[in-house]
Amino acid sequence: MSKKKLNTKEEVSADINLSPMIDCCFLLLIFFVVNATQITVSKDPSVGMPSAVSCTELKDAKGCIVVNVFADVENMKGNALNKFTATYPAGTYWGVAEAGGKSIGYTSSQTQELTDFISKQKDLFKNQQKIEESKIRLYLRGDQNAPWERSATAIRCAAAAGVNNIVFGTLPSK
Amino acid sequence: MARHKQLQTEEQGDPEMNISSLIDCVFLLLIYFIVATSLVSEKKLDISIPATEGQASSKPPLDPGKISVRGDGTTFWNNDLQVSEPYDASLADAKKTDPAAAAAYSAQRKMEQLVEQLKLLKDQATAIDTNPVVMLEGSPRTAHQRIVDVMAALAEADIHSVGLSTAVEE
Repeated sequence: MSKKKLNTKEEVSADINLSPMIDCCFLLLIFFVVNATQITVSKDPSVGMPSAVSCTELKDAKGCIVVNVFADVENMKGNALNKFTATYPAGTYWGVAEAGGKSIGYTSSQTQELTDFISKQKDLFKNQQKIEESKIRLYLRGDQNAPWERSATAIRCAAAAGVNNIVFGTLPSK
Repeated sequence: MARHKQLQTEEQGDPEMNISSLIDCVFLLLIYFIVATSLVSEKKLDISIPATEGQASSKPPLDPGKISVRGDGTTFWNNDLQVSEPYDASLADAKKTDPAAAAAYSAQRKMEQLVEQLKLLKDQATAIDTNPVVMLEGSPRTAHQRIVDVMAALAEADIHSVGLSTAVEE
């Protein structure tokens, strides 16, 4: 009698084998993690990206030194404006993100500081991450309403720091 | 007595980890990364800017083309041929609500005449087996978007290298 009771108990505890599902999930997870190693740190939401018809995918974000170029405050609105005033002091032309993710703004008179930042970043890429010098690029995220002078100054600063490869960030236009 | 003891050990010898919380975590991460990757839509322009140093001392076989963008966004080819209308940034905001403004905006963004001239230059260069040289001179006041438009036109004409110079005066 007692033997029969034991048998029923064993039959009730039916379990689905979850391990193949976990395997699948981990594979997917790894795939997406690898894909997501794009520029995520320095994408400043205050920059209204310009659009271009003939743009191509940025395949490898390795070695990209990101410099955000801001428009005047009058051209910003809503969320972008709030974020900008909260993060940067007034009159900021260029914004970069340090290794820790902290945003730093540079004003028009701080071109030397911007040059220093770019050369520091370049050395970091070259010595610590062992990226070839030819692959170190300036990723210029210029606001569509920013005066060209600011972008050109950022390019000049990069050239002074020894970075001659420039990549213009754009959005695809429909 | 002996039978009872054996049963107890059998139950203890089957330890099972509760993995449902782990699956929860993995799913959350999975969803986060799926969303994060689909948000990455930023692209780049396939244009390289040659280094200013180490310029060739010999005269290039083909006269370089020169694009100048004025402060209002008007574009000139070799200083004399106007290839685009002025750029009106206010249309960029209006285009979301007004279809007519959207059409005007995309029309002013496309530089068909410039693309034509660039293609001509590219053909000339290919004929004598060299690379076309194009200089881009942007007024300091012109919008960044306008320069990107010019570069898009360059990419459309299959020219992937441009020299930059900043105009001092209008």
